Amino acid sequence: MIQFENVTKSYPLGTVALDDVSFAIEPNEFTFLVGTSGAGKTTILNLILGDLYPSSGTVIVNDIDISSKKSKKIEELRRRIGVVFQDFKILQDKNVFENIALGLHIQELPMKKIKDAVREVLSLVGLEGRDYYFPVQLSAGELQRVAIARAMCGDRQIILADEPTGNLDPKTTWDIMKIFKKVEDHKTIIIATHNTDIVNSMKKRVLVLKKGRLTKDMKKGGYEL
Amino acid sequence: MRKILTALRRTPYQSLAVFSSLFLSLFLSLLLIFCINFLYGLLGYVESRPQVTIYFQNETTETNIMGVKNDLEKTGMIESVKYISKNDAFNLYKDLNKDNPLLLEMVSPDVLPASLEIFAKKPEYLPQIADRLNKVTGKDEVNFQKNVVDKLLSLTSVVRTMSLGFFVFLMATTSIILMTITHFKVALRKDEIELLRLMGASAGYVRKPFMQQALFLGFISATVVYGLFATILYFLFPAVQSYLRGIEQLSVDLGSYQLIVWPITPLYAGALYIVLTLFGMGIAAFATYFATRKYLSIQRS
Repeated sequence: MIQFENVTKSYPLGTVALDDVSFAIEPNEFTFLVGTSGAGKTTILNLILGDLYPSSGTVIVNDIDISSKKSKKIEELRRRIGVVFQDFKILQDKNVFENIALGLHIQELPMKKIKDAVREVLSLVGLEGRDYYFPVQLSAGELQRVAIARAMCGDRQIILADEPTGNLDPKTTWDIMKIFKKVEDHKTIIIATHNTDIVNSMKKRVLVLKKGRLTKDMKKGGYEL
Repeated sequence: MRKILTALRRTPYQSLAVFSSLFLSLFLSLLLIFCINFLYGLLGYVESRPQVTIYFQNETTETNIMGVKNDLEKTGMIESVKYISKNDAFNLYKDLNKDNPLLLEMVSPDVLPASLEIFAKKPEYLPQIADRLNKVTGKDEVNFQKNVVDKLLSLTSVVRTMSLGFFVFLMATTSIILMTITHFKVALRKDEIELLRLMGASAGYVRKPFMQQALFLGFISATVVYGLFATILYFLFPAVQSYLRGIEQLSVDLGSYQLIVWPITPLYAGALYIVLTLFGMGIAAFATYFATRKYLSIQRS
């Protein structure tokens, strides 16, 4: 469960990224974060990941208070969270298998389990047989699939995606969303997006942000600003 | 091992720089350790020699010599006195020059002087004993070792102090070089490290490959240095042995144990290798740990 209670986040130069935001996301819930650029979507994702401290208020993720100064707690939390970055963050000197297996190596799983898990997730994202391709040999859509595969691989209960379809054509965008739909029953998924079509079509929970404030929280909502 | 070699191959210049820096430091350190041990061995040897030796003229009779010996023993300043007759001296000479028949042919017992080897109870008595011996009738020469011991002691002390200073400087420089190179290596993998940290990797997990490479390079550098040093010693051995002619062995007092430092024994050689390897791996690991520490803490604002 993810819980924000009266969370405010301001940056050193005085910019207020989030202003008194409160919401809770249940396990295995599919949620969209929508809002204009600078509305605070990425700040929410970074707070959940423990990459930022709230200036005030409390953020609890899987019973861990992310304000905790203990690095071990944050590391433990991050091992339960998969992140799909807007710029993919695919390592260019590693092949598809190695990129996806990164998270599993961190969990120090045996090689046999890593291979099985990577093959399974490659099949889920439709990249079977591309294990040993390097990033330069893949299209943008395929790279995004690799990023999603990496985020889903292993025992990651929460998937955070920051504009996962931002650079993709409509068909690839839908293919990517289908991947998220495949796992929505057993993972908490939070997607920050500008894509009106996707949000309107999927009829999932929508949190609308405007200048750092949570203005709407719709259970089966559409894209509204 | 394969991962370590691959990582080193991917950053060949940084790896070579780490190796070169470690190689130089370890080589100089080994040289210093070896020289200091050798000097201490030499000092111990000189200290164990008779402190004052009086040589008698050929015509001095054994009775007279024994009279001198008895007089000395009565002074209360003497720990022991050993009489070396002409025949004893000849036997010692023969033993020392057994490999050189030409020298043996040229010398007979008559040529060598009889002597008394004297050990004092306290070093302070040595000048008085030497003065007393200089007044003995029938003496040929009095050898007073105190000056030699003092000079060697002073030399050893200077070498030890200078070595310590040089050693600290060497280690500081090496650590800084290794830290700088590791900073470069970390910077090259900044994206990967950032990603790993966001995925929940612990600092230890991210640091592990850097530490493994450092330990590997430390081990390789120490082994290469040791091999080179052993080769140099192998070629220098005859010259040093000839220089130390008559000295069977040099040892360093380690409290309850006498470590033989020359000729090099398997125990001493093994100890040097272990110390050098641990030292090489230790300094590489130390520098890497501190170089990576700055980059691996979770930075949150």
